[in-house]
Amino acid sequence: MKIRTIGMMIAILIASFASFSGWAADEGKIVVMNPRGVQPEIRKIPMAPRQPTLDGKTVYIVDTKYAMTKPFVTELHSALQAKYPKTTWVLREKFGMYMDDDPNLWKEVKEKAAGSIVLVGH
Amino acid sequence: MITRRFQELVTTIAYKKGIPNMRITFTPHPITDRPAELCRKYVAGNDPISGKPMLEQIYDSLTGKLSAEDAKSGYLKRDPRPRLLPPDTPDRLMQFFHEQNFTDGNPIILPTEKKVAEMLKATSRKPDEWVGQMRPSPPHEAWYYTVEMVAVNAVMAGVKPEYFPTILAMASKGVTSMISSTSSFGRMVVVNGPVVKEIGMNTGIGALGPFNQANSSIGRCWTLISKNLGGSGKPGETYLGSLGNPINYNNLCMPENEDNLPAGWTPLHVQKGFKKNDSVVSFFNGWSFSNIAWYSPLPIHEVIRGWLENFFSYGTRQATLVIDPIVAADIANNGYKSKEEFARYLADNTGTPGWLFWSQNRTALKQAESGVEPYASWLKRGKDVVVPVSRYKGGGRRAGSGSGFTSLGGNTATTIEIVVTGGGTNTFWAGGDFGYIGSASVDHWR
Repeated sequence: MKIRTIGMMIAILIASFASFSGWAADEGKIVVMNPRGVQPEIRKIPMAPRQPTLDGKTVYIVDTKYAMTKPFVTELHSALQAKYPKTTWVLREKFGMYMDDDPNLWKEVKEKAAGSIVLVGH
Repeated sequence: MITRRFQELVTTIAYKKGIPNMRITFTPHPITDRPAELCRKYVAGNDPISGKPMLEQIYDSLTGKLSAEDAKSGYLKRDPRPRLLPPDTPDRLMQFFHEQNFTDGNPIILPTEKKVAEMLKATSRKPDEWVGQMRPSPPHEAWYYTVEMVAVNAVMAGVKPEYFPTILAMASKGVTSMISSTSSFGRMVVVNGPVVKEIGMNTGIGALGPFNQANSSIGRCWTLISKNLGGSGKPGETYLGSLGNPINYNNLCMPENEDNLPAGWTPLHVQKGFKKNDSVVSFFNGWSFSNIAWYSPLPIHEVIRGWLENFFSYGTRQATLVIDPIVAADIANNGYKSKEEFARYLADNTGTPGWLFWSQNRTALKQAESGVEPYASWLKRGKDVVVPVSRYKGGGRRAGSGSGFTSLGGNTATTIEIVVTGGGTNTFWAGGDFGYIGSASVDHWR
């Protein structure tokens, strides 16, 4: 009798725990469909080779003109000029708004500069 | 260079653009509207992510040797996206959908193959037919989707099969309901034509509220499509809206109450070049929407004019009015024979609050201070006085209208849209900075 009572108590305890943890749920497994669209392939772009030094070289600082960031861009330009005076740091504003492309500027950077820094906000 | 707040965004964008190891230097956030002295400190300090001195890190990024991996071409890995997900219990699948950001945070209908097959019966289009592509905003990659993929999201949103051609039309336009911008965009979708009655949309009392399955689930579905088929809505990566926008839950989805338009007023889709018997969904882009419940001794058209003149938001150069049929009737009775005529009255007779005009037009302010007309005369009246320049005209012309309200670079076309809906229980109306984006045919997807 005592063993039977203890057995019942253990069973109740297990049932309570199982219910609490979700084990007792009698739902069967189902299969559902993936709601996501198809991602495009990503073609890797090799990074441009780096110069061993920027001494005697030109680097463009491209200001994408995010609203009211001009003080930061100006300070960056001044600080780079002061710290690395053997490099020519050219500050240029990109065409249009910060979202607009500027292929002419990118062409100029490729032709005239050893590298560029492109700044965005916010 | 970018501020530290956008680390996740810029690293994932760099990966998706094919440059996973792009050299990035971070600045403190924000740098917008910060004084030069503070900016100087930022520049002299460290990159807040790497902890290295900012200037040295920039220099090293431009000179440091590339790894063999950096110089390689080829293709980058993407996670596989099988058509079916691994089997599990409904409860765990629901939780999985939430955790994967597949939902809008509310419960969805789990898209079993059976439910999706039922949805697909509502169109003549094949399940594997491509519907379109969508992206969170122009810098992001576009995802592509088929009719079946749209059906999966329609099931999730609680859409009935008979609404499915409307959903396909919405998806075909490729416009996300959640732009990635920090400015927390909202969208609006308006349904016109016979489909409104066919699927039982609510054009009456509470047309913009949660009272009708079609109005609610069609609007909601646009958000799920944008997330799951357009890659939008992942905070920090493809969604940066600082506050977020509650409009994104169902995108102000409403049908126009065409039966109660005043005589001579045309439904929105007809204004946009469709025939009256065409079924059409039209899309709007904006940020803010206000419900104006207001009594005034002034006629309603003058109250709307006053509201528009003083209305200020991010999209301050465009507006969409959603007006009750009895408001439309009142406006028509005051002599406005069409939506276009009323919009033109509003555009021609609204100025710009002085504080807004002078803070947004620094060149004009300098010219005014130098005595250049007409700016000098406008400024003489006081910086807070309304300037006679309309914000609701398109680009092209710089000339005065008959009413004396000019437009800086504007022309006679207005940027004001008008939609009539609602139940006629009061003379109230709503409006916001929404602008028309485009329309798509529902009939094309039946």
